[in-house]
Amino acid sequence: MRETWVVGAASNRFGKMKESGREAATRVSMQAIRQSGLEPKDIGYTFVANCFGVAEHQAHVGPLINNGLGIPDVPSVTVESACSSSSAALHEAFVQVAGGFVDAALVVGAERLSHLDTLAATSYFAIAADYPFETHNGATFPGLYATLASAYRQKYPTRDEMFGAVAVKNHANAARNPHAHFQKEISMETYLASPVIASPLRLYDCCPFSDGAAAVVVAAKEFVKSPVAEPLVIRASARSGSVTDMQDRPDLLGLPATRTAAAKAFRQAKMEPKDIDFLEVHDCFTTAEVMALEDLGFFPKGTAAREEFEGTTARDGKLPVNASGGLKAKGHPVSATGASQVVEIFEQVNGLAKGREVPKTGTALAHNVGATGGSCSVHIFTRR
Amino acid sequence: METTDELPAAPHTIDEFVKGYEESGTLRGFRCRNCGLTTATWGLACSRCGKPDLEEAVLSPKGSVVAFTILHVPGDEFLNDAPYAYVVVELDGGGRVTGWMPSVRSESDLTIGARVRYQQNYKPGVQFVKEADAPRAG
Repeated sequence: MRETWVVGAASNRFGKMKESGREAATRVSMQAIRQSGLEPKDIGYTFVANCFGVAEHQAHVGPLINNGLGIPDVPSVTVESACSSSSAALHEAFVQVAGGFVDAALVVGAERLSHLDTLAATSYFAIAADYPFETHNGATFPGLYATLASAYRQKYPTRDEMFGAVAVKNHANAARNPHAHFQKEISMETYLASPVIASPLRLYDCCPFSDGAAAVVVAAKEFVKSPVAEPLVIRASARSGSVTDMQDRPDLLGLPATRTAAAKAFRQAKMEPKDIDFLEVHDCFTTAEVMALEDLGFFPKGTAAREEFEGTTARDGKLPVNASGGLKAKGHPVSATGASQVVEIFEQVNGLAKGREVPKTGTALAHNVGATGGSCSVHIFTRR
Repeated sequence: METTDELPAAPHTIDEFVKGYEESGTLRGFRCRNCGLTTATWGLACSRCGKPDLEEAVLSPKGSVVAFTILHVPGDEFLNDAPYAYVVVELDGGGRVTGWMPSVRSESDLTIGARVRYQQNYKPGVQFVKEADAPRAG
């Protein structure tokens, strides 16, 4: 395997996009390629991540993006893995580059749903669950994660404020991130006063529906020679799957796919959780961040909520988690999320995360989940 | 070379599962002859041991709640029904299913461990009522 680097990473501002997913994807791709110092013609393969392109009446968007970048002869493919689509696309790009099939590859994820009303958007999201066995029985995504949260809170008594601390922290981080959907802080009082969406989850436990686009350029070390920006060395690119349905999981206290993907990633990187300086995790709900930190091996089961409350995971804490604001406050444009986690790590390493810097940037981990854990990606990066 | 004739047959289709509870009040499931896993989820092989040896199993209508939420913001099929409980139920005799409880409208109305019973209704999805509220089986 060839040593493979992330040499460019760019994102637009998440929230509500006026332009189409195709235009936004092309724009952030051009930005990421320019940042890398490579030329569009250096790209050997484009991996597009998109889940709900049908909502824009557009399939087969890869060739349209490549055409807009001036490289229509470059092959492309769309990767769909629900909310983990762009980390899945990054994994495919890694395989191509590390395996020596191409020297450089483009990963771009984009999603646009804001032109739909909330009901239509909720219904699009719901098709990523098991439709006949979950959605048709009354489930929504907040409902499924709330069901996991109810089992967790039965086993590990936790106070509302411990989950509230995740929301307050991630909003404080997003307030310092120009890419974020919500650039405002919230107080614990605001959190506690927000309406219940699916008990025990309140409005401020939930990530928003966002539009957005993010792109990452991956290239072989031997091809780049002298990088323009400080590259991220991809030490691990691991994916895992698990039983999708709640009804078939004996353990509802976390996500099995996170545990197995993390085990693979730490083995690949020859590292342990204690070696990681900061991380971006899949916090589609505050409770999901807590469970992820335990499933990834950073804290024993039942203890992460207290660590969050005590500030361990703050930007200036011992283990900064979601310095970007996370899905919770940076926003969650489904197929752009995995790539945007890499954008945050790239910006932290390159001194571009002004006002939200984490103390140490030698090693980082990105954790991205598809739906309720049917899929999971874990990537580990280090400096050169 | 294996031909399609040799593929394991699923004892019923997803459509037959839905029609089973909607029209005849029966929760149809699968039991793995190899490891004993009982589930409602459709497949050709067992999701636990991988063996393609599933047989038809009629699931018990009674069970206990293992996890639940009270949904205040529903999807489009349930617009006029919120708030309601969405539940994961461990059925007596094995197997879990998810379903919803139209009569449970607040968190204080239900606990993990509560006894519930499947009840056929004209509304979509698998529906449960509290066992104490269910009409006696004839």
